[in-house]
Amino acid sequence: MNVLIVEDEKGLALEMDEFLSREGYIVEHAWKKSSAEEKIFVNNYDFILLDLGLPDGDGFEVLKQLKNLKDRDDAVIILTARSAVDDRIKGLDSGADDYLAKPFSLNELLARMHAIIRRKHKLEKNEVKIHDFVLDIQNHTVSFQNERVPLTKKEYEIFNYLVLNKNRVVSRISLTEHVWGDILEVNSDSNFVDVHVKNLRKKLTQCTKTDWFETVRSIGYRINY
Amino acid sequence: MKLQAKFALYNAITKIAVILVLGAIILLSLETISSHHLDGRLTKKRLKVIENLSDNEIDSLLRNQHSFTDYNILKDEFIVLNAIPNVGKIDTSITFITERREIEGDTEIYRILNDQFEYNNKRYKLELGEAMTAMEAVKTTIRFYMLIVLIGTLLVTLLTDYAFTNFILRPFYKIIDQKLNKVNDPTSYNYENIPTNTTDFKILDNSINSLMRKIADLFLLEKQFIANVSHELLTPISILSGRLENILAAENLPVEHENKILASLKTLNRLKVIINSLLLISKVENEQYLKKDQVSIHQELLDIYEDLEDRIIDKQIIYKNEIAANFSFTGNRALIHTLLINIINNAIKYNVNKGAITIHDELTLTKYTLTIADSGMGMEKEIVANAFNRFERENSDNEDGFGLGLAIVNSIAKFHQINISIQSEKEKGTIVTIEFPIN
Repeated sequence: MNVLIVEDEKGLALEMDEFLSREGYIVEHAWKKSSAEEKIFVNNYDFILLDLGLPDGDGFEVLKQLKNLKDRDDAVIILTARSAVDDRIKGLDSGADDYLAKPFSLNELLARMHAIIRRKHKLEKNEVKIHDFVLDIQNHTVSFQNERVPLTKKEYEIFNYLVLNKNRVVSRISLTEHVWGDILEVNSDSNFVDVHVKNLRKKLTQCTKTDWFETVRSIGYRINY
Repeated sequence: MKLQAKFALYNAITKIAVILVLGAIILLSLETISSHHLDGRLTKKRLKVIENLSDNEIDSLLRNQHSFTDYNILKDEFIVLNAIPNVGKIDTSITFITERREIEGDTEIYRILNDQFEYNNKRYKLELGEAMTAMEAVKTTIRFYMLIVLIGTLLVTLLTDYAFTNFILRPFYKIIDQKLNKVNDPTSYNYENIPTNTTDFKILDNSINSLMRKIADLFLLEKQFIANVSHELLTPISILSGRLENILAAENLPVEHENKILASLKTLNRLKVIINSLLLISKVENEQYLKKDQVSIHQELLDIYEDLEDRIIDKQIIYKNEIAANFSFTGNRALIHTLLINIINNAIKYNVNKGAITIHDELTLTKYTLTIADSGMGMEKEIVANAFNRFERENSDNEDGFGLGLAIVNSIAKFHQINISIQSEKEKGTIVTIEFPIN
């Protein structure tokens, strides 16, 4: 899959590049609005990661340009540090698939990308298989041999996030941020996520052996598949 | 009291005073003039009496009696002549008095001339009286009409003054209402001048407009500043966190480095939370949020419970939600959620194990009051007083949070005209009272 990173901060673009390349994506860069528009005109991308504040214009204009092209299915994720409140709404209204506020964790970015892939390709009737478990994306449930595993909302979110990031270590910080979102002061004590992971693992282990559900040293967790 | 009413009142009072003074002067001069006139007539009559005096006449007047009295049919004139003993010095001066006299059962006020004279070595005392009733009647009539004029003028003046000042001051009240009372933020301000030909009001209007322009400029500048700060601070954090995540992904990383990088990520996260909290406060104060959602407090509390349930269970806290009213508030849902979750999170964080949290509500005509009481460690008075300030927090071993939670709560509350007060007692607990206005 190929990704176009439209981002004038080279440092950030390079980190995303490194991360996504390791995941097997083919990454291209555009530092400016003009070059981004050129590249979009010439090539099809699976993902366009679009910064809004570009040196020669607004990222929204790039998005508009893309939407004017026919037969294009490029998924657009807006990445921005701009704090305008209505940017998110404006972004999603103008056809972006997702919106990620800077600073974001690269795991979160990857999870969002995977979620878009799931959505776009309607993978197996909204079901994701992981070992003997099946995640129902639509209803936010997990089942084992057609038997529903009684997970809480938070446990499901953690499981889903780890599955989206399968074979990668997901740090506690990233996990906490994902589960509690942008509740500012509340997500600062990250130990709570361990309690939820512990409960989640207990529930999964009651069904079958889960040695693929790893605790990675002090960093966080990983689901191998 | 309104300016208009004050003007009308002042005008009425001054007019009453003028009429009263005028009336008093008229009455006084009337009395002086009439007395003077009567005195003149009485003096003339006395001369007539004394000139025509002769032995015969005196004799015939007194007829050897000591006193002679006579009056006309209508009793508005009388004469009294008395012989008085020849003792001491005779007082020949003429005096006038106003007195009530009874003549044959009729009492009236008379102007009376008193005189003593000697005739043929005999002393006599003469009294000439003339009724003043007509005069009194005139005075009463004048008084009566004065009262009527007074009341009439008062009513007319009050009405006309009120109407006139109302007309004159209308632009002024319009300015007050449209340019000051109804303005919440400079972005929705109407710069159109209020039509008036009163120079002072024009000046006022223009001054308010120019002040508002300055505020609007500052407001816009602040907005830009916030946007710039967000960009300039959050982008480097973004780069750093990406870099650290990439390093962490390397398989052959020594454990001690891994821990350091994790700690760095945590610090970076903390920086991010602080910046985002400060930005949130600034954006709320800069009115960058819409207040158009119908927020059901009941539903928000249910959502918050779900978010915080793990913490409540972890501390074995007895959580009692005694909400009875189904109250909806017009505001920004995300902000109201943030406000409530911060307060409830504090109630959990600063609670004791196996403590309690009770949420209670009360709905009146003017406000909806929500009280969140915990049985936690409580706070000292000085800490309560400073609780809403940025970076203030209860000194404790608990290093979570950065003391911005209540500052956020405060700015959100102010933005929504919500009133929040904290009562706390050390070792007993804290009660947070949130008053939502009903408009």
